[in-house]
Formats: sequence, C-alpha cells, structure tokens
Amino acid sequence: MSEPVILVPLDGSTQALAALPVAKVLGGIESAALHILHVGEHEPAGEGLRSRLGREVPELDGLTIDARVGTPSVEILRVAAEIKPRLIVMCKHSSAERGKMPGRTAMKVLHDASCSVVLVPPGRGATPWHLHHVLVPHDGTPTTSAALRPAAELAEHAHAELLVVHVTDIRGAPAEPGSLTTPRYVDQPQHEWPAWSTEFLNRLSSICPLGHLHVRLLLAHGDIAAEILRLSEKRSTDLIVLAWRGRWEAPHAATMKGILREAHCPIMVVRI
Amino acid sequence: MVDPLSRDSAGLPEMLDHQPSTHFAELPASPTEDPEWILVEEGFTLAREHELESLFAIGNGYAGSRASLTEGSPLSAPATFVAGVFDSKPGSVPELAPMTDWTRLSAIIEGQPLRLDRGHNLEHRRILDMRQGIFWREWRHQDEAGRITRLQVLRLASLADRHLLVQCVTITPENYSGRVSVDATLTGPVVQVTGNGTTVAMAVSHRVMNRVERRAPSAEQVGGRQSFELKLGETYRFDRMVALHTSRDTVEPRETARRHVERAIEDVTGVIGEHREAWLARWEASDLRIEGDPAAQRALRFAIYHLLSAANPQDDRVSIGARGLSGTTYKGHVFWDTDIFMLPFFILTYPEAAHALVMYRYHTLAAARAKAARLGYRGALYAWESADRGEEVTPSFVIAPSNEVVRILTGEQEQHIGADVAFGVWNYWQATGDDRFLIEAGAEILFETARFWASRAEREEDGRYHIRRVIGPDEYHETVDDNAYTNGMAQWNLEVAREIADLIVERWPEQWQALSRRLGIEPEEPRRWQNVARDFYTGFDEQTGLFEQFRGYFGLEEIDLASFVPRTAPMDVLLGRERIQRSKIIKQPDVVMLVCLLWERMPPEVRKANFEYYEPRCGHGSSLSPAIHALVAARLGDTALAERYFRQAAEIDLADNMGNAAGGIHAGALGGLWQVAALGFGGLYLCGERPEHRANLPLNWRSLSMRFQWRARWHELTVPEGTESRNAEDAP
Repeated sequence: MSEPVILVPLDGSTQALAALPVAKVLGGIESAALHILHVGEHEPAGEGLRSRLGREVPELDGLTIDARVGTPSVEILRVAAEIKPRLIVMCKHSSAERGKMPGRTAMKVLHDASCSVVLVPPGRGATPWHLHHVLVPHDGTPTTSAALRPAAELAEHAHAELLVVHVTDIRGAPAEPGSLTTPRYVDQPQHEWPAWSTEFLNRLSSICPLGHLHVRLLLAHGDIAAEILRLSEKRSTDLIVLAWRGRWEAPHAATMKGILREAHCPIMVVRI
Repeated sequence: MVDPLSRDSAGLPEMLDHQPSTHFAELPASPTEDPEWILVEEGFTLAREHELESLFAIGNGYAGSRASLTEGSPLSAPATFVAGVFDSKPGSVPELAPMTDWTRLSAIIEGQPLRLDRGHNLEHRRILDMRQGIFWREWRHQDEAGRITRLQVLRLASLADRHLLVQCVTITPENYSGRVSVDATLTGPVVQVTGNGTTVAMAVSHRVMNRVERRAPSAEQVGGRQSFELKLGETYRFDRMVALHTSRDTVEPRETARRHVERAIEDVTGVIGEHREAWLARWEASDLRIEGDPAAQRALRFAIYHLLSAANPQDDRVSIGARGLSGTTYKGHVFWDTDIFMLPFFILTYPEAAHALVMYRYHTLAAARAKAARLGYRGALYAWESADRGEEVTPSFVIAPSNEVVRILTGEQEQHIGADVAFGVWNYWQATGDDRFLIEAGAEILFETARFWASRAEREEDGRYHIRRVIGPDEYHETVDDNAYTNGMAQWNLEVAREIADLIVERWPEQWQALSRRLGIEPEEPRRWQNVARDFYTGFDEQTGLFEQFRGYFGLEEIDLASFVPRTAPMDVLLGRERIQRSKIIKQPDVVMLVCLLWERMPPEVRKANFEYYEPRCGHGSSLSPAIHALVAARLGDTALAERYFRQAAEIDLADNMGNAAGGIHAGALGGLWQVAALGFGGLYLCGERPEHRANLPLNWRSLSMRFQWRARWHELTVPEGTESRNAEDAP
C-alpha cells in the first residue's frame, strides 16, 4: 500500500500559501506526505513556484513541487485521480479571485474530487495552525454520521475535541429513517436532555466509531449557518467539517454556503 | 391549536400495515395474524434500534425486557428491569437497576458470525404480538459463502407466572450442513445486590433440541459455547427459561429462582400456553374495539398492551414509572402520569392493578408527610418524582445540550401532585366502591393531602386563600402565584376530604374514631378544610368565564403559534427559556387540564370558553398534551379537532423518525390515548351513581365497544355510529 498523500495545489500567489500550514499539520496527523502541485496556465512551471512568488518561501523547503500546465481545476483533479490523496488542502480563492465564496477552481475541485477537500481562508496567511477543536454540524441523519468518519478519525489522531453541533431546523426534520433531531416533546428536561444527548451520540458512534475521542454535543437553534459560525468563534474552532450532498444550486447547500462565506477557520468538505 | 407533525406521519401506518407472512411451526406458538393486533417492523435500520427495543418490549408488571437482538448490534442496549428494584450511585438519584441480559444468543456458522451487519439479510422481520404478549423475530440470512440460515425467535415475560421469562430460538440451515457454535452465556452476574440492599436472583435453564430427531444434538462444550453439526433442512431449537426472584418477595431468592426454573423448563409449551391464555383473558376485560379505523385500533391496542405490561396487581409496593419497564429514561421514576393519565384505564378495566397503584401511594405516605414537614407544612406532599420509598428523587439541575445549566424546580414547586394523587384515590373509590380501601388507606391520603393544602394556602388581605410560588402542569412558567390548576385541585381536595370525613363519621363511626385519633384530626378540622376551600382564590373571571392560568398571565406577550408551523421542536427550544416565560405560550394543558378533571363542576360555557382561549396558546411541549386536548375537544363535540389530536397522541411512540421512544415508551401518553377513546369519543362519564355515556365518535369510526367495571360489576359499552347518549348496559 502506497504512502498516504495530501495534495496541496498552489497557484503561485502569496495568499495560496495559507493552505500550507494547515496541510503540514494535517500531514503530520495523518502521517501523510505533502504533494505540492503548481499549475501554470501557459508556461511550464519549471523553476516555478518559488520564482513566481518572488521571494524565499521557507514553508516549501524540502517539499517536492509537481509542476503542470493547463487549467488549474482540471490538472488538480487529474493529479488527484493519479495519486489518490487522502485530502486536498487548498486556498479558497485563486490569486485572481475575490469575494467571500470559494473561487471557480476551488468549487470545481470541491464538486468533482473523490476525496475530502479542505478549503483554507486566504486571510489566515502563514500563521501556524493547530488542530485542537473540530466542529461538526450534524443534521441527525445516519447519512451524515457515515460521512463524518474521516473527520472523527482525523480528530482522534490529533487528540482534538470533536464538537458535534445540531441546530434545530424549523423547516422540518429529515425524512431519512433513523434520523434523530431535536426532540418534539421534552416532558421533563432533567431526564429528556441527558437521554437525547446520549441517544444522539450513540446513533452517531454506531455508524461513525468515535473511539476515545473527546466528544461534546451542542444543541442550538436559529439560523443554522449563523449558529455554527457563532459557536465556531466562541469555541475557537480550528476546523469545521461539512458533509455535502453535492448539490449547489438554490435552495440546496444554504448552510454550507453561509459557512464557506464567513468562516475564519479552514473548512473540510466531505462528500456524501 | 393542533400542531400537526411536520414529519410525514406515513410512518405510523407503514409500521402497522405489514402482516407476518410465514409460520413459526417449530415454535410452541404462532404469531397472531390479524393486523389489528400486531406491530411489524420489516428490515433493519441500525440507528432505530433503541426505538424498536422500546416499542417491542415485553413485560408483565413484575419484569420487563427490551426487544434487543439476541446476537446484538453496535447499537443494541439489552435491558431487563424488575419493578421496584432501584439502585443508586453516590451523588445521584435512584434508578431502575438493569439486570443481566438473559436474551443473548450468538451463533457462529462455519466460522462466520451470524450477524445483521455481515452478509446479506434476505428477510428480517420483528413482530410485537400484542394479543399474546409475545415478541417474535424472523430472519433469513445469507453469508458470504452463500449459506442461508433461518432464525426465528419467540420471547415473552409470562403473564401467568410473573417470575418467568422465556425465549425460544430456532436455527435452520436451508441449503447447507455445517458446524455451528452457539454462545448463550450470561455476561453478567446471576445474583445482584442493589445499593439499597435488594437481592435479585436470576436462575437460567436451557436446552437444545433437534426438531426432526426429537432429541438433543451431540454437542461439544467449549467454555460457554456449544458446538455441534447442523444438518441440511433440519431445525434446532434453543429454549431458555429464566426465573427471577428478589428479596422483596422471598427470603431466599436464589434458591427460589433455581427451583422455579427447574420445574418450568420441563414444560416450556405449557408455560407458553398459560401465558397466552392469561393475555387472552386480560384482553377480554381490557380491550377497546374500534370498527372503521384500523390504525386507531392498533394504536389503542399498543397503548393497552404497554399499560398491561407495566402493571402487577400482586405487588402494591410498586407503581408504574413514566416509561414503564421498557427503558432507562426517567430512571423508573413515578410521576402524576400514573395517577392522572394511566390510572383511569386500570380502574375501569383492571381494578386489581388499580388497587395496587393506589396502595403504592398509601405505602409511600410517610415520605410524603416528611416532604411536607421539610417544607414547613402539615399533612402530606407527595414527591414530584418518586422511586421505591416515595422520597423526592427529582434531580436538582440538568445541563441542557445548549450547555446551559438549568435548575430544576419541579421537585419543590410542582405541588399539584398532592391533589393529583388524591384525585386518583377518589376516582378509584368512586368507580370500585371499595369501602375497605377507603377506610384503611384512601381516606388517610385524602385527609393528609387536604391538610397540606390547608396549611400551604395563606389567607391574604382580600380574605381569600392564595398559593404562591408554584409550578402548574404548564412547566414553562415557574414560580408563579395562584396557578389555576393547583388552586382548583387543592380546593377540590379540601372539599372531598371534608365530604369523606362526613361520610365516614356517618357510616363507620368506629373507624372514624380510630382514624381521627391516629391522625390527630380535631372535630373542627374537616370544617376548616371546607372553609378554606370556600374562600380559595381561583382566578375565575365571571365576565369572561375564563380562569387566569396564574396571576399576571393575561398580561404576558402574545405569540402566534401558527407562525411556527410546521415545526418539530418544542417552543422553549425555539424561543429560549426567558422569552417563553414572558409569553402566553404554554407547554401543556393547565386550565384545560382542570376543566378536564373537574368537568362536572364546570358549566358548559366555562369549559368551552377556556378550551377556546388556551388551546391556541398551547405549544404541546409535553407528550401528555395532545391526548388531553383530544379528550376535551371530543367532549365539547369538536370531533374533527379531537381526531387530529388523537392522531398526534398516537404518533408519540409509533411514528418512526421521532426518536422519542428510544429510552422507553411514554406510558402516560398511552394512558391518555386510552382516555381519549373511552372517555372522549366513547363519552363515558363516571361521576354519578350510574355510568353514562355521551358519545362523540369520529366520522370514520363505525363503532366503539369496551367492557368496564363499575362498583364491582362489569358493563358493556357499545357505541354504534350516530349514537349520542344512552346508559351503559350491564354485561353478564
């Protein structure tokens, strides 16, 4: 079995380097090598990345840089298909892109990659990163529990706390059998809440083994994305893990869009 | 307002409509085929295991077992409870003690574990046979080598001999011969001693039989495992019988259990037959038959099944906890659910069990007196939550999943429980005419609870008696003054105590002498109860006909509940505790509850006005809420509204995807559901000397019929479509 790899696409911009500290920590946790990919649209990257950055980049010292020519998203996905990385860690925007939402390259990779993708906000720069607190929004469905296995494993390997957040969705509950959402009746809170929390985590752990993880369950209500962002700030979350069904057009992925737009920490997107 | 569940309620009929398709020929009985008597769960959804374990639980009032898979799963939580056997860890409140799992049986066929999460499940079906009180399971499994194995399970808690638990499992290799290794060893002790010193002994006996050769297969014993050859197409049956005895019922529980099980294992078929007959006899008395609505019929039988499974007329020192014996949530604690929601069913169809329940309150009267004294009052105040001894066992705080530490005030402030217990006692006596109970136990409860109210209420400047700092049934509003339900029920309690005192003085003067001397009741005390009752503040407004739920309620914020439809979460979660306390939104019927219980005391226009005012403001945050709204709506003649609430109440346990039942069934809500049918749609009134009914059947119910006992005589109530009112007929 080949060594696990984390693919880190860089476009030569300074802001893209924000992915590096995150990728390095994740690589350490997963015992995975970093595969740096630089895609030039018109010229072979050659001397490439370092010269394009126009300065010394100690973060890249000792790393092999894979240089390709072509459309970035196409080449990233092509390399991903070749090396089958455990994760792709990349900046939310390319150098040419602005705005709060992920850029075109990141969106294409998110949509088509067969592995989980970690998007790093460009604003965090080269600040060192650590993984102590992982926040996982959970809609209560078994499908989401299954999707979160990689996140749970990551948190366990990092000895991080897993904060599972269930936000009451006033629009209704999922129809999937085995879903557990906010209880409809809370006869006596002194009994119902401990029972509900236990049941929620039991259902999660029966599908997504939690091992020796330190897990905390939080129930919130209100706008789902806003609540997740609020709790993420409050708890100094290092990583938010989102399970995504792959639908982007409205009204789908409203929560994910809100979090991608505003989160200050890296976001790991796991496809369902 | 009715708050229809936004989750598709199709789960209820889907679960109910399947029928067993196969025969259990190698077992000593067969499942009932009539779909109105069974619940069927097809397939396997791991995440729902805890719910199904609760819904399909078996019980006989002495013991109850969750319907866990014999071989287990990542989510299985097998548990067996013995009524009245509590354990407590240091620093926590007592909880029902789980016994060693006696149902476990795992099989390894040719080295491959027989499990639902391995290989292919060709068929998997679980059946709750409510008519016979049996949990059935059928499973056809194909392993990765193509071996197909059929497994069938019968499990019961004997209603004929409450100390016995029985499980029969058959294994049939359909397309192979091969070696099986069966492990049925217990994973826990057979003798357990709880923290309060109760010893529970479990004696187990089992045997294996080849059903073709009619003899035990030649087996190799390795540790706790039995290993032997399975022959193609032949069925092997594993019978396991368990006898449970405790130091609560015998001085030598271990020896008693051993002797008991040794006798019983000799005639498994006979034990099962007697159990089935006991259930059939029980249903003769307790069934409520509906024509025209199979889903309602099965929901009602589900309610009756679980109520019967939790009751034991032979033990009057235990009661029924909020989740019966079907789960760990609520720790087996007893609430007003028993006295107000479940007891009417037992009073009318199983008075022996009702007697045991009201006697539990008598046996725990000392603890109720102690609680009243601790709070500085006279008389008796029952615990909001009680366990084996009746002491207050309500936890004092909870950490909500919002991470908020919530102080729990119900143990101190939800004092209406005292009047609720008195109401149950009075109802029992009214319906049964059990004068001996009244004189020896019931009157003492009525007097002591009345004494509490007489000392608890304070006469204020307006000349009226007030009760301040309480919580009514609507627990969204805490520390309120003059809660209408509490005051109204206290007033009733005081008046009835006076009436009963007068009755005993007149009819049983010698007993009165002894009782009044023992309780220190001065001659003028009953009159004082009457005077306090007369001058009680009730919050009633003559102009509007409304009771104010508590002082200041009418000035609270109006919030339109309709704007939150559909919703699947309680309103206090959506709005937060502070906002809900400033609003008129209530958790469950409070004034409407008072109207429901004291129906005959309320003029028709008052009943209607209060229902119409409070019903749209109820958020139904309690599982007890929909049934009471259904009952009152039915009595008011709004059958359509009542039917919608009835359905909502039926879905509390039965609708899939709710997750509410994972920790056990909702026994109070099930009792409420029965009351909707019998007292609401059936319109049974039991307040006079002779039972009457004023029926309000839903449109699709062609008829409703039931038997009930009134003053030691059985009556038959039959309500054909269109019937409005008639006397209930005497039954032979």
